[in-house]
Amino acid sequence: MAIGVIPQLIKNLFSRPMTVRFPHEAIPIPDGYRGEHAYDVGSCTSCTLCARVCPNRAIEMVKAPEEHREKYPKTYPQIDLGKCCFCGLCQDICASGAMKLTKGFFLSTNDRATVLRPPFASSEQD
Amino acid sequence: MRATPVNRVTGADGITEGCRTEDGFDLYFGPVHPGSGNFGVKLTVRGEEVVAARADPGYLHRGFEKLMEYRTPMQNSVLSDRLCILESLNWNLVHAEAVDRLHDTEIPDRAKYIRVIMAELSRIQSHIIWYGVLSKALGFDTGFKVAFGYRDYVLDLFEFVTGGRVYPAGYICPGGVRRDFPKGTKERIRELLTKMEKMSREFEAYDNATIRTRVKGIGVLALDDAIRLGATGPVLRASGLAADVRRDAPYEVYDKLDFEIPVHEEGDAYARSIIQRREIEESIKIIRQALEQLPAEELPPVKPKAAGKIPEGEVYVRNEIARGEAGVYMKSVGESHPYRCKIRGPDFLHMIPVLEHLLVGAEVADVPAIYWSLNICPADMDR
Amino acid sequence: MDSMRTASARMELLAAIDAQFDVENRVDKDGSVWVSVGKDRLFDLLGFAKNAGFEHCSSISVTDWPEDEVFELTYHLWSYRDKILLTVKSQIDRREPIVTSAIPLWGPSAQIHERELHELFGVRFEGNPDLAPLFLENWEGPPPFRKDFDWREFVRKEFYDEGNPREQGYWG
Repeated sequence: MAIGVIPQLIKNLFSRPMTVRFPHEAIPIPDGYRGEHAYDVGSCTSCTLCARVCPNRAIEMVKAPEEHREKYPKTYPQIDLGKCCFCGLCQDICASGAMKLTKGFFLSTNDRATVLRPPFASSEQD
Repeated sequence: MRATPVNRVTGADGITEGCRTEDGFDLYFGPVHPGSGNFGVKLTVRGEEVVAARADPGYLHRGFEKLMEYRTPMQNSVLSDRLCILESLNWNLVHAEAVDRLHDTEIPDRAKYIRVIMAELSRIQSHIIWYGVLSKALGFDTGFKVAFGYRDYVLDLFEFVTGGRVYPAGYICPGGVRRDFPKGTKERIRELLTKMEKMSREFEAYDNATIRTRVKGIGVLALDDAIRLGATGPVLRASGLAADVRRDAPYEVYDKLDFEIPVHEEGDAYARSIIQRREIEESIKIIRQALEQLPAEELPPVKPKAAGKIPEGEVYVRNEIARGEAGVYMKSVGESHPYRCKIRGPDFLHMIPVLEHLLVGAEVADVPAIYWSLNICPADMDR
Repeated sequence: MDSMRTASARMELLAAIDAQFDVENRVDKDGSVWVSVGKDRLFDLLGFAKNAGFEHCSSISVTDWPEDEVFELTYHLWSYRDKILLTVKSQIDRREPIVTSAIPLWGPSAQIHERELHELFGVRFEGNPDLAPLFLENWEGPPPFRKDFDWREFVRKEFYDEGNPREQGYWG
């Protein structure tokens, strides 16, 4: 039954707003959210499946930096977040659980260098 | 009485240069994203009347048909949400069905019901956007804000189930769905449906005389014109033909669900806006039934595979997405990538032949109402 | 899934096609009919289909087979009355791709599909009054959806920068 526009508009005037005052209040992020990557080089087996399944070629296998090369002789994934579409195929195909997507979504940055995520933090890559 | 249409073609793509000519004044409607989508129409206006219209597509052409030839089906599934992001899960479903038909796989029943539930939620969300942008085009800003407010509840549910609010990243993929419903999904969907019914009542309440004056009798599309111009979906149903792929050639589990197809005879913008509200109600009914019938079995997630060949063959799959009839023609020669993937988007027909036909003879002030009543989406026109 | 009426209409359609045209046909699991016809009888078959109730031209597509030097045209037609999906396939010469337009049968819906195929594949449809470019602007190169157009090379040359560390993966 149509109750007319004016009564409905008055009801809207006195009802609670739909918006949430972020960042003072926030809607909780559910588990399974596809956000920033968390890569654990200790569990990685260098199978290179993540680089092959990525639809945008955002993952490139690079060699470890000099100081780690003895313990980590193979190649490891470097993720370019600018190309990544956060689909989670790399997480699904990783058999050892080294590649996971977390709930992080504060990824905006003014510095382009932070867009490339090397497998070994704070090192120069080849 | 309509003026004789004048379609001068001087530029290479048919867009004339210069603005004041003997036939009238050239007016660009778009392309401005918040105003007309990633798409523009060039109108030739004489006084208040449009005498010619020429569509200007191509701003969102990404070459999907070529892109899909270089990727495996699971990667194409991730790509298929971007075919039209406003109804991403529906496009995921068309693509997944085409690949499943080539592989001839049996999808588990629970996966089929989940696919239908997510596709109908995506249809509701798409019609909410349609209501919102049509209201905005008519100047009724309250309708726009209320619609997008309610749409957020649907997007929160998508985030809960698929991991992303707007981009489900190929949630409906060849072989089933990427992950099963998390615990508590059924209750959340039922709460969401209560909110959607409340929203439906609000939309009915907002239907006032001012809006009716702006859309009644505007943009009338006769039935034989609609069929000749290739209109499908709500645009065709508003002109009088009860054609719906879910009813005519049922896919997934639509043959087990009971729903009606809203049809109107007038073919004007008002009929289209009524159909959009009725379809939201029908989709709510479908989701309720699907939740009742959802089998309780274990559903393993579908993992991507690094290698795998698509069996040889060709298939043409049609689905009813929110905007009309979507088609995917996929041909495979036995490699791991499809050989040819042709995508038929409903808006390819709505935005070029139908729009040009409807705009000729209209008044300039009615152009936004006609334009947005067709539920356009430049993404599946350009692909 | 198929009503009795649709099944009998499909039988009638197949019988009529077999009587008038000498073509290979098959019926898929989902009930769709696929017919392959030579280029000389293509327009006749399409006209027959239109008169048999196939008033909706769902899509027209072209597949490129460069080794066989053919383009394969596919017309996907739907009948609202009988609820049958008919696909008509035909092969035309790739070096001189000219075919009669389907506009007299399906009007503007066929015209816009043909315009897109002309731009992307280079097929010329005779009888189509408006084959102006649709999506691309100021495009000088070959029709881009053909298999012999190396779009990766084109994108690399036009848009990518060898000195950019983020684009190293694309250079070799």
